Amino acid sequence: MRTARASDGDGHAMITLYRPGNGWLHRLPAGPKAFGILVVVLVISLLPTSWWTVMIAVSVTVLGYLASGLGLRELGRQVLLIRWIITITVVGQLIFLDVESALSNTSRMMAAILFAALLVLSTRVGDLLDAFERGLRPLGRLGIDPARIALMLAVAINTVPVLARLALSVREAQRARGTRSSLFTFVVPFLVVALKHADELGDALTARGVR
Amino acid sequence: MIDDIGQPMQPGQPVIQLDHVTSQLGDTLALDDVSLRLDTARIAVIGSNGSGKSTFARLIGGLTRPSTGGVRVHGVDAAKDATALRRLVSIVFSNPDAQIVMPTVAEDVAFSLRGTKLSKPEIAAQVATALDDFRLTELADRSAHELSGGQKQLLALCGALIRRPALLIADEPTAYLDARNSRAVAEHLLRPQGGHQLVLVTHDLELAARCDTAVLFDGGRVVAQGEPTEVIDAYRASLRW
Repeated sequence: MRTARASDGDGHAMITLYRPGNGWLHRLPAGPKAFGILVVVLVISLLPTSWWTVMIAVSVTVLGYLASGLGLRELGRQVLLIRWIITITVVGQLIFLDVESALSNTSRMMAAILFAALLVLSTRVGDLLDAFERGLRPLGRLGIDPARIALMLAVAINTVPVLARLALSVREAQRARGTRSSLFTFVVPFLVVALKHADELGDALTARGVR
Repeated sequence: MIDDIGQPMQPGQPVIQLDHVTSQLGDTLALDDVSLRLDTARIAVIGSNGSGKSTFARLIGGLTRPSTGGVRVHGVDAAKDATALRRLVSIVFSNPDAQIVMPTVAEDVAFSLRGTKLSKPEIAAQVATALDDFRLTELADRSAHELSGGQKQLLALCGALIRRPALLIADEPTAYLDARNSRAVAEHLLRPQGGHQLVLVTHDLELAARCDTAVLFDGGRVVAQGEPTEVIDAYRASLRW
């Protein structure tokens, strides 16, 4: 049971980043918001290596979370989620670089990830996909259907927790029958159930008017 | 479209009609020369696994085409215009997980209205009403995958009915659910609202008994059709050995 909850929790973390709210960032349309956040991330990424960069990256991130109304608690939660990325980056850089460079690089990367998180925390996936669809509209002239690409992304995002659950059920079924876990004995049944799910999802999409 | 739930439709009203339909799935003859006409509001389809009832549901839902014979659903020829048929029909499947397309509950219901000419505020208003109707309002912003099996199936039903289909097909909608959740889904399925025709494929004979007509499939053929209690008795008799 502990494993099942852990897996559900992981799946949950992957797709339910959106936090309902009424702050200005929540009310901002998805397109301009994505563009604005992209600009901030780019500016932070281009800051030179110095202690000032560390201070600016940290301050801007904290201010971003405070101003958006999401708060420091949410910021703490997000930092916790990427703790291993931070640890690996810092340790890896400290081996080859001086402390100032290592912390500058890490703080820039942290700020970029945490700012990107602001976008998904304050925007419903549906609105993001609509914005994405609008942004891709010029590609329509090349015969690319933006709505189809947006739908593909939505389905991909949404299928992650389902696949995690299917993987767990395959492992549990094998354990229940006393089968020793190996890559081969896991992959084949997992592919079978994943393809079955794809078939069922295809039917559901067709039934809901997707051609 | 359906004037009075529980009563046969008037002449000229939409019906489901199959004429000498066969459906060959690989080496299996899933439907074997099936002819029937269904004109009541709530139709139960019963039979053992592999009897052809799900193939029948997929045929009238426009998901597969007949190998031979004709299928007309509410005046639309299923073989010739599957797209028009799918506009008329909504389908609820047994596996609730495979029906969730969008991450949150409200977004998933709204997905059913994508591609319509409704504006965003109109879609939001319709979604709010539908969620309220299914008592899912408090879960609107929750991850759809966090819901219980019963809530997921209610969500699937909500997403199916918001399209205001002329025909709702429910293919074993309570198969994955416990008794309490089965009941909740059944109450939503069978309540006399919505004005759609219902085809309910089910192993739950109590549920089938609450429909207006029942059809019994066996070996790809229709072996009984009519009053649900009589058809269910025929099914039970066929199960004795």
